Amino acid sequence: MLEISELHKVYVSPGRRVEAIGSVTLSVGAGELVCVVGPSGCGKTTLLRCVAGLLPASGGEVRVNGVPVTGPPPRMAVVFQEYGRSLFPWMTVRQNVELPLKEKRVPAARRRELVAGSLESVGLSDAAGAHPWQLSGGMQQRVAIARAVAYEPEVLLMDEPFAAVDAQTRADLEDLILRLWRDSRITTLFVTHDIDEAVYLGQRVVVLSSSPTTVMEDLKIDLPAGRDQLTTRSLPRFGELRGHVYRQIQRARGHGADR
Amino acid sequence: MTASGPLKVLRALAMPALLVLAWWAVSGSTFYLPSPAAVARAFAETWLSERLVDDVLPSAGRLLAGYALAGLLGVGLGVPIGLSRRLRATLEPVLEFFRAVPPPVLVPLIMLLAGIDTPMKVLVIVSGCVWPVLLNTVEGVRALDGVLADTCRMYGVRGVARLRRFVLPGAAPQIMAGLRQALSIGIILMVISEMFASSSGLGFTIVLFQRQFQIAEMWSGILLLGLLGLVLSLLFRRVERWVLAWYYGSGAARA
Ligand SMILES: Nc1ncnc2c1ncn2[C@@H]1O[C@H](COP(=O)(O)OP(=O)(O)O)[C@@H](O)[C@H]1O
Ligand SMILES: [Mg+2]
Repeated sequence: MLEISELHKVYVSPGRRVEAIGSVTLSVGAGELVCVVGPSGCGKTTLLRCVAGLLPASGGEVRVNGVPVTGPPPRMAVVFQEYGRSLFPWMTVRQNVELPLKEKRVPAARRRELVAGSLESVGLSDAAGAHPWQLSGGMQQRVAIARAVAYEPEVLLMDEPFAAVDAQTRADLEDLILRLWRDSRITTLFVTHDIDEAVYLGQRVVVLSSSPTTVMEDLKIDLPAGRDQLTTRSLPRFGELRGHVYRQIQRARGHGADR
Repeated sequence: MTASGPLKVLRALAMPALLVLAWWAVSGSTFYLPSPAAVARAFAETWLSERLVDDVLPSAGRLLAGYALAGLLGVGLGVPIGLSRRLRATLEPVLEFFRAVPPPVLVPLIMLLAGIDTPMKVLVIVSGCVWPVLLNTVEGVRALDGVLADTCRMYGVRGVARLRRFVLPGAAPQIMAGLRQALSIGIILMVISEMFASSSGLGFTIVLFQRQFQIAEMWSGILLLGLLGLVLSLLFRRVERWVLAWYYGSGAARA
């Protein structure tokens, strides 16, 4: 479904050259939810932007359904980290969710259905007429999620979507993502720096090294599918996986500090 | 802090009342400063007559025409310049130069090109008003949020929709700031263009009164100009509050 092969990215600006991604190869099968975890500054956002076609790669390639990505693919949606800046403040919640559908020329009746359905699924039916700045951070991110879901993408990319919300909201949003994914089976690539979150959400967790970034490990998460904040997180296996990823990340850090 | 209705009105009127009182106190000391009552009388006699139709309305009409034209031109040119780095690099020094030229010095030039009638006056107003609108539009478009731009790209919002849903609303706070600056420049140029060569209009009439030593009438003209500016700026504020409701609501205006 989604194949990233030997992706390489160097930022070149006058007098500066940052090798953000050394070489990353990874694939996400149809309907899979894969978490990418790595230390801050290791190039997660860069990776995601290359996959989304928002940033040209310096080498390697990304394919969606076998088609090389050269610009944003038509059936891909992104939830950005900066929820406060990814919603249009001059539009209401409903208009924000509806805009991409209008551009996709979805008929009005179907559009209303999709908007209402997606807002309902994120629990924001009542906020449809509000403006984003009238909502809390967690609610704003839910609007962004609703917008992505209503778009009916084949691939959903998320860049540390919950990094800036409080712990309780974060747990709720994680469960929301799991529920939406279970209902829709949208192929999802979820980027985070939070190990717990990656293990809790992912069917697989891909651990990145610090830059120049490579894949350190591609780990299958063999936790039961029906996940739950309390029971899943208290499973011994959860602790083991978490510890394993944690040690990898520590190694990744040390690795980075050595150079 | 929140004052009730009557109190608010009282507070708003206190300062003007004080000024009129002070004026009263010093008036009469010289021939050139008639009393408020004399100016008020002159005001009623001068402006609530056919002069309203012959001088005030044409002046205001030219102002609005020039202002609207400058607004369209400024936004119309500012958007593409703001969107294109290359255009910006080429044009920005030139634009800054034109902005730096004081618009009144263009009046003689524009008179040569466009004569002394309405087109000249409108052109003078356009030539001064267009720069703040243009430069602010460029700045507003240039500073559009990158995350929103990415959002547009991901969700296929492009072309006219991108302009209408993203670029123009996103740059609106700056565009409105430019339009606000342009409004005061427009009023100044309306008067100046009429002082140069004209047989009607507010600016012309005020100069005429001054030459004929109709001092109270002259003052009443100045008063009228002040009132015109006040009304226009209040109207502008209304429109701005409406256009930028989201901006004031979100608190971005205070940030
Ligand atoms: N536009 C850019 N220009 C130059 N360097 C950049 C740019 N964006 C990111 N970088 C650098 O690339 C590296 C990876 O950044 P990023 O992808 O944002 O990491 P992460 O999302 O994992 O925190 C960092 O060292 C960062 O400074
Ligand atoms: Mg990042």
